[in-house]
Amino acid sequence: MEELKEGLQEQEADAQKGKFMTFQAGKEFFGISISYVKQIIAMQPITVVPEVEDYIKGLINLRGKIIPVIDVRVRFKMEPKEYTDRTCIIVIDVKSTVVGLIVEKIAQVDTIMDDDIVPPPTLGRKDNEQNKYVYGLAKTEDSVKLLIDPEKLIKQEVLEALEELQEEEQE
Amino acid sequence: MAEDFNTDSMFSMFLFESSQLLEKLEGIILEKQDADCFDDADINEIFRCMHTIKGSAGVMMYDNIMKASHKLEDVFYYLRESHPEDVPHMELVEKVLAVSDFITGELDKLRNGETADGDESKLVEDLDEFLSRIKGEIKKQGIRLPKANKQEEPTQFYVKPVAEDDSHFYKIVIHYRNDTQMSNIRAYSATYALKEVAEDLLYTPEDILSNEASGDVILAEGFHMLLQTKISKEEVLELIDSSEAEKIDFDEITSDEYGKELVNLGREPAPQIVINLEDGVKPAKDDKPAPGDYVVKSKDPGKGKTLAKNQPKQQSIISVNVEKMDALMDLIGELVIAEATVLQNPDLKVPGLDLTNFQKAASELATNTTELQQVIMSMRMMPLTNTFQKMKRIVFDVSRKLDKDVEFEVIGENTEVDKNIIEHISDPLMHLVRNSVDHGIEEDPNERTMLGKPAKGKITLEAKNEGGKVYISVRDDGKGLNAEKLYEKALDKGLIDKPMSDYTEKEIFRFVTLPGFSTKEQVTEYSGRGVGMDVVVKNIQAIGGRLDIDSTLGGGSEMTLVIPLTLAIINGIVVQVGNSPFVLETSSIKQFVRMTQDSLVQEPSGEEYVVLRGEYYPFIRLNEKYELPDSCCNVDDGIVVVLEHEGKQICVLIDKLLQQQEIVVKPIPSYIKKVRGLSGCTQLGDGSIALILDIAGLIQDEERR
Repeated sequence: MEELKEGLQEQEADAQKGKFMTFQAGKEFFGISISYVKQIIAMQPITVVPEVEDYIKGLINLRGKIIPVIDVRVRFKMEPKEYTDRTCIIVIDVKSTVVGLIVEKIAQVDTIMDDDIVPPPTLGRKDNEQNKYVYGLAKTEDSVKLLIDPEKLIKQEVLEALEELQEEEQE
Repeated sequence: MAEDFNTDSMFSMFLFESSQLLEKLEGIILEKQDADCFDDADINEIFRCMHTIKGSAGVMMYDNIMKASHKLEDVFYYLRESHPEDVPHMELVEKVLAVSDFITGELDKLRNGETADGDESKLVEDLDEFLSRIKGEIKKQGIRLPKANKQEEPTQFYVKPVAEDDSHFYKIVIHYRNDTQMSNIRAYSATYALKEVAEDLLYTPEDILSNEASGDVILAEGFHMLLQTKISKEEVLELIDSSEAEKIDFDEITSDEYGKELVNLGREPAPQIVINLEDGVKPAKDDKPAPGDYVVKSKDPGKGKTLAKNQPKQQSIISVNVEKMDALMDLIGELVIAEATVLQNPDLKVPGLDLTNFQKAASELATNTTELQQVIMSMRMMPLTNTFQKMKRIVFDVSRKLDKDVEFEVIGENTEVDKNIIEHISDPLMHLVRNSVDHGIEEDPNERTMLGKPAKGKITLEAKNEGGKVYISVRDDGKGLNAEKLYEKALDKGLIDKPMSDYTEKEIFRFVTLPGFSTKEQVTEYSGRGVGMDVVVKNIQAIGGRLDIDSTLGGGSEMTLVIPLTLAIINGIVVQVGNSPFVLETSSIKQFVRMTQDSLVQEPSGEEYVVLRGEYYPFIRLNEKYELPDSCCNVDDGIVVVLEHEGKQICVLIDKLLQQQEIVVKPIPSYIKKVRGLSGCTQLGDGSIALILDIAGLIQDEERR
């Protein structure tokens, strides 16, 4: 059974190659490789967890599984915006860590070839932190999309959390 | 995936069955350890246990297990048949436990994928010696001695089966290679295989299982079988495991020859009871089978199978992967939510709808889901019986080794605890019990009588369920803890540095749980093996429990493990602060009070206290602590909850009470860093998520300020 699953996943991975789920946050369009995306759900009631980073909005109940949700706008250091009925949650699975991303608006699924992706210019950028998880810029017909590496996005958090834990222990 | 479960099913069945039988056996033995002798029912039961283990070990070819169990079976066979008096009961108990330990050890080896290579010969010798000793006693008493190792069943006559037209008669002689190991077992498995198809099967030597020497006979003379069956020669040959066989003589014979061969096999027809059946003589079989041999009685070819199963009916138990249980639990949680969504669907609120039938069906559904939920919860709960059983054994072993006379009392062994917890308390409990026997009870009974206590020490193991917690206490009436000695020792070891007056007696008792503390000067075999009380405390804390120590010098000590009933489910009260629901564990709530601003005292630093009946408590406004919006800031509108954890109390301001319910505890996703004061989260009936407040964390947090 497990093997079968893996086989299927491989096949899927082929079909998913070069496909990106794009969404809008502020003026910019962002893209996330579709292989990370588990599903897209409508906005749900969120239970606030106190004393966490401001972009972690809280917990939602995904059919019995409790997962944390992140507001992408806040994460990208933009002004938070009221949620509307266009607001969605993209559930991503990054190495077994399941996280929901609250996005303003889902755009579409785009096919972006490797050739069309250029790394973000590193010189002269002020907003350095954002670049950590934006790993590439992709030009499509109408706009430029910022491609996000969710692994880095998650990893960074875990590291921060770990550091804090260590601090606590030292106390 | 199904294959995974089937692989080695025989093997795992053997392990499972045998361990269960051994557990039962130990249960019987320990129950009767203080009696003078076993009663008939016990003897039969022990005999049956050993018999079954021997049988299945034989099939699985675990020779040493088979031999050991066989010897013990022999002993009990004698007891059963001749009811001797003056059997040294204690010695017998020890013998049985020794065999049980041996087999348990071998089973453990097998379970770990090793080979069962333990040497049984010493055990067998011991048992032999023991057996001949009681035999001697029996003789002295002039009681008739049953024939050696022969079952005294009512004489069975060999009834020659009615030869049917399509039956074949075969004479089979299997010659094994000279170097064949365990030829008797191989021969046995051949008979076992043939039994399925045989209408009649006889073989010689007959006592292949019970007599080790039979293996040599088989090697020298070959293994002779007479078989009456409907199947063809080829099919028969296929059934016989011929891997070690040098050659197999296979002759088809007639019905008459078959009868003659019977005589050759050493079964003389019994002339005095010749009953004429349609087709002739009915030879009597006067060689009674040894106990445990599969006796194939004619006319009943399937009998061998039922023989192996004639153990008494047990509660049948299956072991299930815990992950599956958790998945089931999650699913049921979802079901309950789905139910709520359907039953409280806004579509139903259309005015003028006739919902009579719907409501009936709905309440039926609700009853069923509730029951379903209860069943799954109870599936995780197990009685402490088995754990306590082990303790009986420990007390028995340790008290005998240390030569202390100890009475062991068990109370409340049926208390049910979550399975996960049972696994965690077994070792700590074992340690406490050992300590009680070793350190608690006085070495010299005179010391006890001088204090007016009975010479026999007493240890009580008690479990009870109170307020969502399980209390398991190990109580002894021995020396008790000497606070002065403990203090000196701790000071000596550099574990503490304050004067003795700074500590209460209870605090001093707690020193024994410090790492590197062992009061016994001499480390004995049973206690103080490095895994000390600190490990016990650590293990208990790991499952959210604690250890209480109470003691009176000269009067005994009591160690109490206080553990949560379950890790997964708590009884909680759902409260609301702002827009967020929180869960408080019911057992930690002391009271709810309405208060006015007047009963608050504020320090200049902003810290607040509550005055309640003259006592002062720290006061936490949850909404401020966790920066929750839309909450009432006024004490007059909210409710104050007094919470207690380990004797420390704290007051928390909440907005309102929502409901009381059983809560399935789920961890907060690891992605979110640990928030102090929150121990987990849970899903409420309507699908929303509530956070569970960790009282201990809250109090700690408050103390740090």
